[in-house]
Amino acid sequence: MKTEKEHIIDLIPDYLDQVLEDDQRTLFEAHIKICTVCAEELEQYNVLFDAFSQEEEAIPSSQMRSNFLEQLAQEKQEQSQIVPISSKASTSSFPWKSLSKIAASIAALVGAFLLGQYQQIEKSNRTIAALKNEELRAKQTAMLSLMENQSASKRIQGVAYIDGFADPDEAIVVALINRMHRDENANVRLTALEALSKFTTSPMVKEAYIKALSTEENPSIQIALIQNLVKVQEKRAIAPMKLLLEREETQPFVRDEIENVLPQII
Amino acid sequence: MEEPSNEYVMQQVAHGDLDMLKVLFERHHKHVYNFLYKMSNDKMLSEDLTQDVFYKLMKYRSSYNNGNFVSWMFTIARNSLHTHFRRTAGKNDSMELVAHRLAQPEKEEEYSHLHQALAQLAPSDKELIVLNRFQEIRYAEIAQIIGSTEGAVKTKVSRALKKLKTIYFKEI
Repeated sequence: MKTEKEHIIDLIPDYLDQVLEDDQRTLFEAHIKICTVCAEELEQYNVLFDAFSQEEEAIPSSQMRSNFLEQLAQEKQEQSQIVPISSKASTSSFPWKSLSKIAASIAALVGAFLLGQYQQIEKSNRTIAALKNEELRAKQTAMLSLMENQSASKRIQGVAYIDGFADPDEAIVVALINRMHRDENANVRLTALEALSKFTTSPMVKEAYIKALSTEENPSIQIALIQNLVKVQEKRAIAPMKLLLEREETQPFVRDEIENVLPQII
Repeated sequence: MEEPSNEYVMQQVAHGDLDMLKVLFERHHKHVYNFLYKMSNDKMLSEDLTQDVFYKLMKYRSSYNNGNFVSWMFTIARNSLHTHFRRTAGKNDSMELVAHRLAQPEKEEEYSHLHQALAQLAPSDKELIVLNRFQEIRYAEIAQIIGSTEGAVKTKVSRALKKLKTIYFKEI
């Protein structure tokens, strides 16, 4: 523990600086009156502090100020080269510049995101299209080979594949026409005929129907041909129909049908 | 009208109003110069370093963190001095050299008794007394400058004063 004397000596600078609390100062002054050692100590500090206050301030040369001003002028020149906006304006006004920078970066971010998303969609669309394309080609190959199958039901299955094609290849149409003309099985021929009925806008299909009308002997197929040809108002079908009427082997209900529809083709 | 605070003025400088640095120069260049002069005992060096301090205030204005300006300025001054001594004295303890130089004062200079007493203090003690007694910087700010706490600074200053007093009265 500190003695009272040491404690008081520690307080001397604060006492001289007049920063002691009131009660501490009272205690300090009371002690100084009765303790010569501390009183002498105080006196020494007093002399020292006087010396501090009397110490003359060194004065720098005027060169220092002019050098400083020169540096400052140079810096200002550099500043104005780098930042053309007047410094006063930039301190007082709202930081539009940085705001616009932020806005631009946000726009760039969003833009990049949207572009990325768009490209992603675009890419996946292309992939899907490619896959679909591939699938169609595979389907077409399957369809064509099925139509050549020995089994009539397989051939029918192949013909029925046409439902998957919105805009079929000419090869498929030709294959269907061949099935309609030449297949030994009437059911296959009929299915091919029905499949072709979706594409009656094609002159090739109309031609094929007309040709089939003159060669086909199965009455139900004849009826289907007649109906389809009437539906498209094919005038070239009139001649083979009249020929069918004249033929002896033509079934009576086919004749009836022809007589029914002939007036409809105008 | 009240003078704007150092901190306010420095903020203006930090925002690009370089002319405001003139205000700070007029207010403080003598303090910085006297601090450096007391520490180095070299007028030419002190002028150069004072100029360097204000150059750094200008260059690093944007890094001013709105803290106590005087602390910041003296931190820069102190670092400039240390850097200078490191460069010139190599690996030797820089402050030792100053003490050595002070033992052989320039002929024209006439130092006060106090000045000579100060010169015999350890550099760190001298620095504390110069900052606290001559620059009248409070303990809290000195703590910021030398990287210490207010309480520790107060104790150190008190001890340094005691040492100085002893030297001062021994030689009188």
